[in-house]
Amino acid sequence: MIASRRQALRAALGGAAIGGGALLGGWAAPQASLGKPSRAQDVRILSFLLVLEQAQSAFYDAALRSRALSGELLRFAQVVAPQEHDHVALLRRRLGGSARPAPRFEFRDATSSPARFRRAAIDLEEATAAAYIGQGASLTRDLVAEAAGIVAVEARHAAWIRDLAGALPAPRPADPARSPGDVLTDLRTKGYLR
Amino acid sequence: MTLTLEQLDRDEALLESIAILQGETRAGFLRKAALGSAGILAALAAPARAADSVSDVDILNFGLRFERLQATFYTQADELGTIHKMPAAKQRWAEVLGAHERAHVRILKKILGDKAGKRPFFDFHGVTETEDGFTRTAVAMEDLTVALLAGVTPRVHDRSLTAALFGLLTTEARHAAWARNIVGTTPVGRSVDRARTLDSVRGTVSRTRFIAAAPRMTRKRSRPHFTG
Repeated sequence: MIASRRQALRAALGGAAIGGGALLGGWAAPQASLGKPSRAQDVRILSFLLVLEQAQSAFYDAALRSRALSGELLRFAQVVAPQEHDHVALLRRRLGGSARPAPRFEFRDATSSPARFRRAAIDLEEATAAAYIGQGASLTRDLVAEAAGIVAVEARHAAWIRDLAGALPAPRPADPARSPGDVLTDLRTKGYLR
Repeated sequence: MTLTLEQLDRDEALLESIAILQGETRAGFLRKAALGSAGILAALAAPARAADSVSDVDILNFGLRFERLQATFYTQADELGTIHKMPAAKQRWAEVLGAHERAHVRILKKILGDKAGKRPFFDFHGVTETEDGFTRTAVAMEDLTVALLAGVTPRVHDRSLTAALFGLLTTEARHAAWARNIVGTTPVGRSVDRARTLDSVRGTVSRTRFIAAAPRMTRKRSRPHFTG
């Protein structure tokens, strides 16, 4: 029953694969396999998600400082920035003494014009939503609940900025997962993460 | 007129779910309760059985019923020509959401297989017939779905299902944000989307009276005006 259900799921969702590993600032990103939820696994996953929330916080702060935004884009950044700060604070609380400081980010180019801001905001929001989808189910149950509440907000951000950019806000019936390695490589390639 | 759950839920699909999730005693009490009454709200807000005693099939079947509610809503508005009369941007929005909700029904039916619950009947009381009624209902329903999925995702036992529900949750959240942007409301009102339990969402669905006891026949049409 369970096996066939999984097969049906994969077929229905187009095989949203979870996989890969990566190193960032000395910590190992979570592995693909849905290991049995544990505190150690929670710490690995939350540490990875914290980097993404820190990246978003730094990006929106830089955008608001740059004064390149106006109108609806400015309102978007003003609404979203404090929400990303809340996510950082929430994850740091859950990590306690295991929380690491933010790595170095580079958002000067990405916040230099409205068009660049839109592109970077979509990149970051989509990457973060896909990362939560990939890792959320491997957390212990209370944290699954918190991750669900956060990823819904990240998806709302993604839809909102896509709408402002003239892109389809909800491009698929079911959103795919992305592995930590894929997400981090993508952010480095785009120059956001040093 | 005050409707009781018993009057609306003629095939007892809802009461059956409540009995499974909350026990026969509570289901028996709710049978005679007026929808929207303080009694039903208090009963639905009270803690359900321990999370571990609710099966994944029960949870998925409630999800399926809810996706069917949404799919029927968009399909009906489409068939009645309501969507066709709207401005182009809203048409695109309504069509994409309808297609996604129908896909969600297919996904959940596929996962549940022969354990999928039977299709309930819906009566939308005319809100699919006007742009205003349709839009307001869509915004409310999408936000409600986000809350429902945020609430049930951590309660599912099978972790591969949890992962899949995350992907549906984010799609529903996109729908909700898009809907809110279309009506000029802030697409995201808080830092963390509030989770609601099965029971509190079911209460809201009942209060809006969308789940009807039997097909409602209209004067204009000789067949039920829904296809869910």
